[in-house]
Amino acid sequence: MSSDIRQLHDDLVQGKIICTALVKSKIEELKSSKENTANYLLEDYALQKAAAVDAKLQKGEKIGLLEGIPFGLKDVYLLQGQPASASSDFLKNYISPYTATAIQKLLDAGAIPIVKENCDSFGHGSSTENTVFGAAKNAWDKNKVAGGSSGGSAVNVAKKYTTFSIGGDTGGSIRQPAGYNKVYGLKPTYGRISRYGIMAYASSTDVVGPIARTIEDIRIVLNTISGKDYHDQTTYASEAVSEEKVNDLAAAKKLKVGYYRSFLESKALDASFKSSFEDLLKKLKELGIEVKPLDFFETNTLVSTYYTLAMAETASNLARLDGTNYGNRAEAENLKEIYALTRSENFTEETKRRIVGGNQVLSQGHSEEIYNKARAVRDEIDDRFAEEFEAVDIVLSPVTLGPVPNVGETLKDPLAMYLSDAYTVGFSLGGLPTLTAPTGTETGIQITAAKNGEEKVLQFANLLKDLQ
Amino acid sequence: MSKTMTLEVLSSIKGAKSSEAVEQLFEVIKKAKATVEHGQANHFTAVSVSDLRPDEVIKSSELEREIIKKNFPKQKDGYLVVSKVIEE
Repeated sequence: MSSDIRQLHDDLVQGKIICTALVKSKIEELKSSKENTANYLLEDYALQKAAAVDAKLQKGEKIGLLEGIPFGLKDVYLLQGQPASASSDFLKNYISPYTATAIQKLLDAGAIPIVKENCDSFGHGSSTENTVFGAAKNAWDKNKVAGGSSGGSAVNVAKKYTTFSIGGDTGGSIRQPAGYNKVYGLKPTYGRISRYGIMAYASSTDVVGPIARTIEDIRIVLNTISGKDYHDQTTYASEAVSEEKVNDLAAAKKLKVGYYRSFLESKALDASFKSSFEDLLKKLKELGIEVKPLDFFETNTLVSTYYTLAMAETASNLARLDGTNYGNRAEAENLKEIYALTRSENFTEETKRRIVGGNQVLSQGHSEEIYNKARAVRDEIDDRFAEEFEAVDIVLSPVTLGPVPNVGETLKDPLAMYLSDAYTVGFSLGGLPTLTAPTGTETGIQITAAKNGEEKVLQFANLLKDLQ
Repeated sequence: MSKTMTLEVLSSIKGAKSSEAVEQLFEVIKKAKATVEHGQANHFTAVSVSDLRPDEVIKSSELEREIIKKNFPKQKDGYLVVSKVIEE
């Protein structure tokens, strides 16, 4: 099975490449790139680690599969001693005091972080334009957006600046940019990977996940960073996803596939996307795979439920940013003025919109009819998923309603930006594992399974790859 | 919390007011039908009380504490400067 990680590992072991030269070349490529994906390059840090790998190899010592492999991390992850800005003015000079669990596991395995990647500020966006580092550009068309919020990560993988990157997904922030840049991006089951050390957006849907060019690389990284963590009580112990099972195409053909009628019948869905998706379903049926339509919530209900809860949670999570203990602080006459001025000057317009929306739904008089109602609707969505995955093994859906937008279009119309997440947010509310695979439509296809069903998701992605 | 608190006060953001785009999302929720009350079932984000971590203090590393102090926004003569908190 194709794997860039395995290829690089073999090249390092056989002496075809030197780790320091590899890391240096990737950093040079990032420096001269035009896509604006790097908030901070970790040059000295990475080269020091690469030299240690070279020293080991020169002594004839064995190295692990991930040892010496350069990777990127979205600039919302903490890596001790390195900057972590969340693409905001607020934290532009902030230094991470400790390391996120998922990143620590990669460090323990010997992988080398080379870049903190551009993203929408605090994860608030769908295009990586809501960033104080300037908009990131799509890997394949500089006039198009990178997607978001993990846009820099997806572009870096697509352009091969990184072997893989670690993104974060709250409502589609790994899956949509993966689709826009034609790579794989996995949103794992909620709780499979520790959130410790990722800056919180909406804690009840935030997940950590890999972006890579091959299914095997997604599997390798997923297995490395999964597991129960003392620091995140929502994590659970999971079994490693087996390579053998992912490669079992006969088993993949026996999986029952569902799709949502409401997604396909949406008037907002681009006509060419609809026909590409229907063609894919037809090909699957021709292979003898059982495909059945499912009834599901209207996309407007999914988007509204998601944003109500996400805004409420981000308003709470970002309340800690007031300039008292860390981050920028504005000078003012008294404490309240310091808070207000600091927050007004250092959050972007989109972040402020979401904080204000969140406080609105949490305030007295609104919480019952909006916030509590959204939580009840979410419970129903969760129940419905549980029922549906009794009848099918896999649900397929487009990633987006239409093609990749041009740079400058997305932030002009916030409502359109929110509604563009129509196909991704439902699976976030359900906490379900969902992979974007670069096939099926122009911006890819989502493959979803029941909770903890990552093995089935990757197995089916392998089948789809061979259908191309 | 007082009913009269404005969004500006609640958010600590100057000039904060509700957005038309966000209001439209909330209207959808107001009209949505929820047949189950939240909290009736044990959904996945809940943490089980039988599986809580020990209630214990773990000392952070010297490096971690050093970085936390360096991140403090304002320092003077070796002290961390905070605002006066005596208010109305």
